[in-house]
This record gives sequence, structure tokens and C-alpha cells, in this order.
Amino acid sequence: MAVWIALVFLIWFIGTSGQKHLFPSPSQVLEGFQGLYAEGLVVHIFNSLCLCFLSIFLAMVIALLFAYSWPIPLLKPLSEFVTKFRFLPFTGLSFYITLIIHDARNMQIWIMVIFLTTFLTTSLIGVIKDIPEEEFDHAKTLKCSRWEVLWQVVILGRIDYVIDAIRQNLAITWMMLVTVESIVVASGGLGFLIKNSDKFMNHGRIIALQIIILLIGLFLDWSINFLRKAIFRYSTI
Amino acid sequence: MEFSFKETLLYVENLSVAYDGNVIIKDISLTEKDVVRSGVNATGQVIAIVGRSGRGKSTFFRALTGLVPLHTGKILIKDFESNDPAAAKEAKEGDIGLVNQKYTLFRHKTVLQTLKYALRKSTLSETDKDKKIKEYIHKWGLENCADKYPNELSGGQRQRTAIIEQLFSSDKFIVLDEPFSGLDVGNIEEVKQSFDLLCTLSEYNTVIFSTHDIELALRLAQSVYVIGYPTINGDKKDYGTIIAKYDLREMGLAWKDYCEKHDKLYDEIVHQMMNS
Repeated sequence: MAVWIALVFLIWFIGTSGQKHLFPSPSQVLEGFQGLYAEGLVVHIFNSLCLCFLSIFLAMVIALLFAYSWPIPLLKPLSEFVTKFRFLPFTGLSFYITLIIHDARNMQIWIMVIFLTTFLTTSLIGVIKDIPEEEFDHAKTLKCSRWEVLWQVVILGRIDYVIDAIRQNLAITWMMLVTVESIVVASGGLGFLIKNSDKFMNHGRIIALQIIILLIGLFLDWSINFLRKAIFRYSTI
Repeated sequence: MEFSFKETLLYVENLSVAYDGNVIIKDISLTEKDVVRSGVNATGQVIAIVGRSGRGKSTFFRALTGLVPLHTGKILIKDFESNDPAAAKEAKEGDIGLVNQKYTLFRHKTVLQTLKYALRKSTLSETDKDKKIKEYIHKWGLENCADKYPNELSGGQRQRTAIIEQLFSSDKFIVLDEPFSGLDVGNIEEVKQSFDLLCTLSEYNTVIFSTHDIELALRLAQSVYVIGYPTINGDKKDYGTIIAKYDLREMGLAWKDYCEKHDKLYDEIVHQMMNS
């Protein structure tokens, strides 16, 4: 892995060492970092993370309600209907959301929540579908009521899977977040910075931002995985 | 060895199970009584169910444990809460414990938490529950893994935990669906030891297990039932039922080392299975 990263850096240095080059050189990217830091990069990262955590929390609560009601025959079609919405185009629907919600920050949050809910519900229903029949039988042989079966097998028994579903959907969240921040400008954020840099064709800054977004995404992924393993010793996903 | 039959522990009458109108098992009837041996504190009952694949052994077990509704018939078990020794009650979901091939446990509970949960409906006081759990953990050699999760247990530890858990919850009756399937020699010995331990814990403990290993069934069980497709008036039916029963106690073959007589019975059971 380290060898490959070193190789990429080597190609980058050599490939951008001449007078003319399409890709920004390391020194241009470094300048981009410095410029971004001077413009309050830390505050923008904080704003993006707040939006990310808030929207994923709300989406998770709604998605869990849909997913846990999926085994109930009457509510099953509703939950499955929600999952189909993940194929809807992002931009078109956001127009109707802007008609209902006027505050830019709330608009960002609810665009994220609506779209994330569809992805998370799909993942969580997949988790429930994969629970082997013998786990339900096992709970029943221990004289569990139907609610106890739901609590012990589906909710407590799969809580680590729920956290892993968040981790897997984090990539989508992170990608959507930058897009949402660049469409609806509210309180800055990494998406806002990318849009501005793009407008002025500042490639050094754009690549610097891409690196920051990638590293934060990887860090979040690693942290959630680490927390899941630390909190749930039995989790062997 | 002298023995006598006492009160009925398990009574199954005309049991049949059908899925979507398709009859899987039919007309299953059996009676198992408490057996007392002279000079032995607790004998326990070990019953083997053998038969070819797809003849309804697992369906029969699911019916016994209340996991599938009965199409016809009834299952009665001794009512241990009644003072009348002949009192019986209809077996409901959870009255007869089930240990499946995979020894399924709650993946998010340690051995200690698992056993506490299994005793949650017991009328024992909290102190007595803790005492009972400690006693079983000690007797079944699980001291070193009381705080371990199922994924941290060895196959043998997992199997012992699953058996105690079901024993705590169901009280006295345990069904094991192919407990020896896929186990190595060492694990098979551990399961055998578990059976012995179960039988010595209470004379009412009743273990019913299915296996494809007829020799093992003859070594361990006191009754062997063969489930297969019956032939009635020359017509072979496509539902499972008990086609033969061998009471090894009455045949003088129970609680004995494997011998020539067992071999003869082995051949007879194979013959029965092949014709069904």
C-alpha cells in the first residue's frame, strides 16, 4: 500500500515538474492548502461535519422506523416503496423541497435526510432479510414473545450491523453533502469552497479540497469501524 | 439391569403437520415414560430418531417444540408444577427446548447473560438463579468462558451453553436436531458426555435427538424410533411417520457396551430405513 502511495506521489512530482502541465503541481496544491486555511478551512470543515452528522442521525431514525416495520405485513409495502425512491434524480426533487422549506440550512438538512433515508432503509432491510430463520426459532424456544423476538434478534442482535450500514452509506452521505452544499449555499462548508474554487479555475485549491474531503471521509470510515469493534466485542462483520 | 417404568413424561397422539396443504408428517404417536433403575439416582431418558433425509425428522422436532402449528393431534408433557404425578399439560412453544445443528445462541450475549436470560421466567429468587447458574457453569466446565460471547467459544463450549440454556428455559425436555452432524471425534465425545450429564442431573430429563449415525443412536439411546414413508396396502405414501420403534431397555440392550446384538439391530434398522 505504502509503495503504491509513494509511486503515485513520485509520478505526481515528475509529471508536473515541467513548464506546462494539466494537473496542478504539489507546490500549487500546497499554496491551495495555505489559502484555504487562511479563509477559515477549519470552520468550513466543522460546518460540513455538523451537516453530515445531523442529517445522518435524522435519516437513521427514520430509516430504522421503516426497516423495523418491514417485517409487519401491513407496513411492508410502505418500507419497500421508500427504498425505490433512491433512484429518483437529486436535483429535480430538491426544487419541490425549496418550495416547502425556505431556510437554506434546513433545506440542506432535509434534502440530505430524504435521500439518505432511502439508501439507509435499503441497507437496513437487507440486514433484517439476512437474519437466519434459526435465530428467530431460537428466541421462540426461549419463550420470547413476538416483541421480545423483535427486540433481542432484530434490534439488539443486529445493532452492530446498523452501525456498519451507517459506515457503508457514509461515502454516499459525504458525496451528497458536498453537492448539496454547492447547490444550496447556507453556512459555507467544503462544498461551498469547491464551488468557489471551481468558479475561479483555481486547480491547486480544488485538488487540496479533494484531498481534504478524501482524508476526512477515510477517517470517518475508520473511526466508525473502530468504534463498532470496540463497543461490540462480538461483532465479526 | 433392573428397571421400571413410572409416569408418562411425553405423549404424542396422531400428530400431523402440513405446509400449504402438503402433508409432511402424519399419524405420529409415541409415549415415553420415566424410567427408574435400581441403584441409580437418576437415569433420564435418551430417545433417538433415525430416518433417511427428507422423511420429516426436523418437521417432527419443530412440531414438538411448538415452532409449527399442528394439523392434527396433540402433544402432552408431564406437568411438573402440579402435585398430581399423573398431571399432564399440552406442550406449547418453549416448553420443549430445541438445540439445532448450529448451536444457535444470542450473538450479543455472553454465556452468563445467556443463562440469566434463559431463567428470566423462572419462579426462583434472584439469589437462587445466580446459585443455579454458578452450579451449572461449574458442572459443565464453562468457568473460563462465562464472560465470553458465542463467537469466542469453542464448538464444545457453544454446544454445552446451548443445551443448558434450553434446559433452563424449557425445564426437563430437550430436542437436539442432528447434534453430531459435522463434528469431529472429540466434539462427538463432548456431546456424549453432555447427554450423560443431562441424564444424571434429573431422572425426568428427556433428551430426544436425531442422527444419521445408527451406531451412535444404539450406543446412546434407550429408545430408537425410525421415521420413514409408510407402505399401506402395497402403496408407498409420501409423508413421514414412525415405521418402527425399538425399546432397547426391554430388549436388554440399553446401558450396555456395544455388542453383537446391537449389530443385528443395526442391520434391522438399516433395512427398515431402506424400505421407507
